[in-house]
Amino acid sequence: MRMNCPICNSVTTWEENPHRPFCSERCRMQDLGNWVTGKYSVEGDEAVSEEAGEDEAEHDE
Amino acid sequence: MAKETNKKGKDSYDADSIKILKGLSAVRKRPAMYIGSTSVDGLHHLVYEVVDNSVDESLAGYCTKIDVGIRPDGSITVVDDGRGIPTGPHPGDPKKRTAAEIVLTELHAGGKFENSAYKISGGLHGVGLSVVNALSEWLEVEIRQDGKLFEQRFERGKPTCKLEVTGKARRVGTKITFMPDDKIFETTEFSFETLSQRLRELAFLNSGLRITIADERSDKKQEFIYKGGIVSFVEHINRNKTPLHPKPVYINAEKNGVVAEVALQYNDSYSETIYTFANNINTREGGTHLVGFKSALTRTVNGYASTMKNIKESLSGDDIREGITAVVSVKVPDPQFEGQTKMKLGNSEVKWIVEGIVNEALGQYFEEHPAVARKIVDKAAQANRAREAARKARELTRRKGPLEDLSLPGKLADCAEKDPAKSEIFIVEGDSAGGSAKQGRDRHTQAILPLRGKILNVEKARFDKMLSSEEIRTLISALGTGIGSEDFDIEKARYHKIVLMTDADVDGAHIRTLLLTFFFRQMPGLIEHGFLYIAQPPLYKVKRGRKERYLQNDSELLDMLFELAADDIVFTVKKKPVKGKVLAEHLRRISNFESMLGWFKARKRDPAFLRYLLGNGLTKNTLKDKDALTEFMGKVKKELPAVRFGKIKKDEEHEAHMVDVGRQGHKHITLDMSFLSSPEYRNLAKLHAAVKELGRAPYQFTVKDEQCQAKDSTDLMDQVLAVAKKGLNIQRYKGLGEMNPDQLWETTMNPDKRMLRQVTVADSIGSDEIFTVLMGDQVAPRKEFIVKHALEAQNIDI
Repeated sequence: MRMNCPICNSVTTWEENPHRPFCSERCRMQDLGNWVTGKYSVEGDEAVSEEAGEDEAEHDE
Repeated sequence: MAKETNKKGKDSYDADSIKILKGLSAVRKRPAMYIGSTSVDGLHHLVYEVVDNSVDESLAGYCTKIDVGIRPDGSITVVDDGRGIPTGPHPGDPKKRTAAEIVLTELHAGGKFENSAYKISGGLHGVGLSVVNALSEWLEVEIRQDGKLFEQRFERGKPTCKLEVTGKARRVGTKITFMPDDKIFETTEFSFETLSQRLRELAFLNSGLRITIADERSDKKQEFIYKGGIVSFVEHINRNKTPLHPKPVYINAEKNGVVAEVALQYNDSYSETIYTFANNINTREGGTHLVGFKSALTRTVNGYASTMKNIKESLSGDDIREGITAVVSVKVPDPQFEGQTKMKLGNSEVKWIVEGIVNEALGQYFEEHPAVARKIVDKAAQANRAREAARKARELTRRKGPLEDLSLPGKLADCAEKDPAKSEIFIVEGDSAGGSAKQGRDRHTQAILPLRGKILNVEKARFDKMLSSEEIRTLISALGTGIGSEDFDIEKARYHKIVLMTDADVDGAHIRTLLLTFFFRQMPGLIEHGFLYIAQPPLYKVKRGRKERYLQNDSELLDMLFELAADDIVFTVKKKPVKGKVLAEHLRRISNFESMLGWFKARKRDPAFLRYLLGNGLTKNTLKDKDALTEFMGKVKKELPAVRFGKIKKDEEHEAHMVDVGRQGHKHITLDMSFLSSPEYRNLAKLHAAVKELGRAPYQFTVKDEQCQAKDSTDLMDQVLAVAKKGLNIQRYKGLGEMNPDQLWETTMNPDKRMLRQVTVADSIGSDEIFTVLMGDQVAPRKEFIVKHALEAQNIDI
């Protein structure tokens, strides 16, 4: 199965690719780095609701 | 190894000759010392030695063309159009041998060692032709000079005759033909591809020099000539890549007798490709020229970066060389080669000469081409960030000591079962849901790991969904498999069912997408082994009297409501009474029409006009015919007096007409061919069939034999749902946390009753695509996606 590397978009394969779905260890590590440093987030609702207060207290990092 | 065949008595050798023989027999005794090895590499080296001599003629300005031939018998011919090896007697030689004979028989006898015959030369450090001669079964030289053709033959390094004039010559040049000695070499089979590659390299390094190769064994031929020199070389290496800037940067300067030539171009890959040459020799191990180039590149790029406002990082050499393709070629009068294979340039002065030249020239280039400079700096900064991210990732996943490795995260409520095949872990979004799950679970086989999965974005005053680094660490250590191409080990998985349990709303879907993407990208083995599942918590609880039912989604709820309604309601469809199951299905179809109409309503399009349009069969033909369109508009005005039309305009493209339609409080619709063929309208028209079958509005029906009436399909739906909901208590779960532990167990976790969806690789690819869209690389599709999902998530009014 041909697919695109999620990081660099180059064409790679799923089968017999130890780095799947990436093209290389470098891209895999960069992706993991992005997770760890919080680069991947989905925008939440703007105008945050009533629970803001309580959640703010929990908020860390 | 070879046997020396010392033919006695043929000629009497004097002392000098014996010394010479000793020299060449040393070559035959230890060939590897001179040509690296007797393997296929050493064999090809013979050709390079001969060709290098011709290239030296070209460097000196006398040779424009070199032809290399592999002959059918396996011998090699190299022909050049240089001056020809000197044929006169060598002044210093007591035996009055010709210079040509000395060059071919005496070690270190090349013109290069003498003085300034060649200012700069390559060759294998001067051992040159005599080594080739010594290691050949036979070698023949033809020299064309001064209108004469000279010839001489050698066998295993020894002349079998003197250099003699054998004919006339119109051209000038040297032709050497030799047959490698099969007593020396492991193989004597030449490879066309190997030779071609090196000859191409030489053609790049010596711009304008024409080099051909012909394989008479197979009729393969190639010709190399590159006017662009090493610029063409760089373009050739980058030919299948996407360059960052259209033209390679080219530097060429001389300092203290050393000529440095550099060509470089960045591409969008991450690899570093730098070829270095000293006097045309490929210095595979680098050396002082490479060191000088790298340090100048790092310095100059950092210098430019410091003038850019958005770059704060200090860029390392590795960052700066990511994606670079460069050729560094120096010509040094007295090259010193070091290293295992003598492929590393050692002259220390070359470092600062190259560094100085590149610093100055590249600095100036950046001044003159700021756009290119900025791209290079941006690319390096990106590399720097990637490296930093990878470093943090490594820190996180670095193997810990044996004690730490065993410790499980505090948030994990593990199960008692130790057999992974019988163990499950539920990854639950939110602490409150996590609490319910912990109480409701089967402690024996089910573990619970709560994740928060959202973080307050203080700047924008909203919650963004993401996994914190702590949560990722927690996930990895709870699952036990390790992470990474090498470290991941499915055998170490602590659970064979990993169940993602998130809310059934849009937020829950987003968290699920995040988690799926994380597993897909970083632990794809879990998905391949079928260990990953998605829980299917209910969205609704419906109570009727003492009976309770849980429903997964809006669609299930509607199905149930229509079934209930159809018990009491009788309709007239196509003039026949319809009830029960058939009616329920029909109502479901009408509701599909309603939700499509809802799509238009959400975009503030006039539903009344759309209904009229659908009910009165306006077709594309109506738009083609202006009179028919005018007539249609007249009818609309009678039925829907509030509707306003614009002027009829020509739709040239479709050879039809168009008109704007509007009503106060609504956005106008441009009634034209493209509106009628839009997928939304066509879908609406298709679904409208269910409404049409009811006949004309108002619609008549009975509820428990009582006559009722609805003015349109929306009104009809409202009334029907109101009937269905009578006596029902419908609870919509905003989140898992609203369910008490028993309910969560009953509906979602109990292995006997629950539904789990197994995640497949195909699912995850889809999920990764959604994720990529959500990450907002592409702004437009992201909006589309959110709108689509917002619509899907439209609640049914309970």
